[in-house]
Amino acid sequence: GGYTQSPGGFGSPAGTQAEKKQRTRSQNIVPCTVSQLLAAEQVDESFRIRDVEISQVTIVGIVRHAEKAPTNILYKVDDMTAAPMDVRQWVDTDEAGGENMVVPPGTYVKVAGHLRSFQNKKSLVAFKIMPLENMNEFTTHILEIVNAHVVLRRNLMEASRGPQAFPPASMGDMGSYGGACSLPLNGLTAHQSQVLNLIKNCPVPEGMSLQELKAQLHSMSMSTIKQAVEFLSSEGHIYSTVDDDHYKSTDAE
Amino acid sequence: IHPNGKFFVLSDGEGKHTTVELSEPLDEEISGVIEVVGRVTNQATIMCMSYVQFREDKSPFDLELYNEAIKIIHEFHDYFPFG
Repeated sequence: GGYTQSPGGFGSPAGTQAEKKQRTRSQNIVPCTVSQLLAAEQVDESFRIRDVEISQVTIVGIVRHAEKAPTNILYKVDDMTAAPMDVRQWVDTDEAGGENMVVPPGTYVKVAGHLRSFQNKKSLVAFKIMPLENMNEFTTHILEIVNAHVVLRRNLMEASRGPQAFPPASMGDMGSYGGACSLPLNGLTAHQSQVLNLIKNCPVPEGMSLQELKAQLHSMSMSTIKQAVEFLSSEGHIYSTVDDDHYKSTDAE
Repeated sequence: IHPNGKFFVLSDGEGKHTTVELSEPLDEEISGVIEVVGRVTNQATIMCMSYVQFREDKSPFDLELYNEAIKIIHEFHDYFPFG
């Protein structure tokens, strides 16, 4: 029984996509430390760690204690950032093997589960507990935690700042900041708008070169820039000057 | 490991050594990568409260990488609170 989908907890969450305010449930599984989970505040049905919404999490720690009950196993998992956390694993009494094997204390495990709070006490309901076979996973988990929280927080800040130069994100838009594909808004995508604005503001007579565009637009690859330039040029927003690498805007003063 | 079994010397991811003192002598052979939890003493040794031996049967543990990761989490302590 239990959850049919098991992300395995290895991948870092899809944090590069900006989370929309309208979404009520976090779709990510976020690696965390026990201290972060304990510090998370509860807002109605969901938890937040400094505005980053979390629900499914992974932690890595040592099993300090294991208590077997008829329907579940209660572990205490310690990752040294705070006191050991209660992790409950439900056992399917009909299932042979698998969940019926208790992880011995002193073993490093990776737990993937849901954060729960009961009477102000936090615990995890695990859908997967895996003993670590390769201790380098421990190092990876540490790095993933920092990375995931940095990225998630950055996405939230970008989303809430609200686009000024660009039209507001519409339904289905996956985040226009350095994101992959965006829906054309006002006829131009975010990439094209950015390129056009830079070219428009260039005071030099021979126009903006592709090299300069690349230097200014760190998040865009050269091919993305070239595609944007080609589109803008075919639409008549810009024209080439000294060579195919330099462009000026038709709207410039 | 010291002959009386009460001390052993560890070297970390940067090649630096430290002495670990145990409250009771070791009753088993240990080798390889060990994680020691303990307190730092005035003599710059560690008074060990507990230790765990890392499994290296399936693949070796990259200690230098771990060392780098530790430095990173101290740098980003905002995202990695210590209780």
